[in-house]
Amino acid sequence: MSMMNRKTMTLIGRTVFIRYVLPVSLLVTLMFATGCAGGANVKVNVNIPDPLVQSVPIRMGIYYDENLLNYLHEEDLDYYGEYSIDLGSTQIPVFDRVFDAMFDTVVPMDSLSSEDLNVDAVLAPSIEQLQFSIPEQTRSDFFEVWIKYRMDFYETDGSLIHTWNVMAYGKANQKNYGAMQRKKRPALTEASTWALRDAAANVSFEFHRQQKIKEWLEKY
Amino acid sequence: MHNKRTVRFSIANNQCQDILSTIRVICIITLFGFSASGCVNTTVQEVREARTGLSADQSIVILSRKHKTRDETENKFTDCVSEKTGTGEQSLAVMPEQEFVDHLFPWFEPRTAPLNLEDLEGIIERPLIAERIQKIGVRYLVWIEGTTQRSDQAGSVQCTVVSGGVPACFGFLSWESGSNYEASIWDITKGINVGKVNSEASGTSFVPAVVVPLPFIARVQAQACNTLSEQLKTFIGA
Repeated sequence: MSMMNRKTMTLIGRTVFIRYVLPVSLLVTLMFATGCAGGANVKVNVNIPDPLVQSVPIRMGIYYDENLLNYLHEEDLDYYGEYSIDLGSTQIPVFDRVFDAMFDTVVPMDSLSSEDLNVDAVLAPSIEQLQFSIPEQTRSDFFEVWIKYRMDFYETDGSLIHTWNVMAYGKANQKNYGAMQRKKRPALTEASTWALRDAAANVSFEFHRQQKIKEWLEKY
Repeated sequence: MHNKRTVRFSIANNQCQDILSTIRVICIITLFGFSASGCVNTTVQEVREARTGLSADQSIVILSRKHKTRDETENKFTDCVSEKTGTGEQSLAVMPEQEFVDHLFPWFEPRTAPLNLEDLEGIIERPLIAERIQKIGVRYLVWIEGTTQRSDQAGSVQCTVVSGGVPACFGFLSWESGSNYEASIWDITKGINVGKVNSEASGTSFVPAVVVPLPFIARVQAQACNTLSEQLKTFIGA
């Protein structure tokens, strides 16, 4: 009788383990493994709405340098893994949309030389730096992205009229993602998206507030 | 001998089936426990500063403050309030938050959104903005601030595998949860604050575990969402 009970319990234990415990354990382990895995590769793809701003009646040449076109930020956070944020290709449509709203006419340029092009001035945005942080580093709830752009404003003869920095910031709250959800890539994507929107807003407003540009615009 | 072995296996198999059935019942009870709620106390307050009313071609938008780096209102809560306010009895026409922000880009981004009525006036007096607001038909902005916090955790639940390979949990875990949200309602067409609605909910969740843990969760955030939404319908629709 006792041998039968021992055998019965062993059979029950094995059955329970195989049918319930093992699949659940594997599932939970997989979820934790993917959730806690270090690093993320982020490719940002942003569409911004048309900015609701008053356009300036000028023909503006726009030049994007290679660094902006192909910008890829890679960083090894040691214990927290390796990260890459690919901004490159998505920045151009963002800036294009902003400039189309800001100026009556926008002329894309292959170089800073505006000879043979009927433009009033040239604007050249470039990216100087990108930084990001994750909640594990800052002991906060947020994934954060900072982007620093430089805007150079040239006369048609190539002389620099004015240069200014545009600081953009975006964040994503990890609480908006489930506890077991793999959150690093979507959260960093969201933070990068908000940073690019912030850059677009900043450029839309700051152009008109630059004193030297105000003085230059008085001609028009 | 062969028959005895066959009988033993048959009896063991039957016992196994019985116990597996019992485990299934316990799992169902556990699922029931997850859906069962702990007790929640709710308080709603309202301060009215001006008349409100919404015509058939007007709508509201529920927004959360995104400029803060702490105590940011959860997206889930804002979405819940938007959904509950826009459905059911006395429902209001609610424009989704992102749609509104996109319509008025870049004037309601985290960096640029108006923090007070003075800022709002500076935005809506611009002809382009006024025209767009008229076109999309939004009348009231409802700014939600607040969070749900968990505190006063006590006890613990320990899980182990007992003899026979059967997993079991033992213990008692409890915690307090509190939701405190405030909605400020602005009339965007007039540039005035028409009032505030505050919803507080608190409750105790507990998880007793005797072999199987049975969680009883106080859904304070959901309750705060329900009461805030109902109060907004009454306040704005009046």
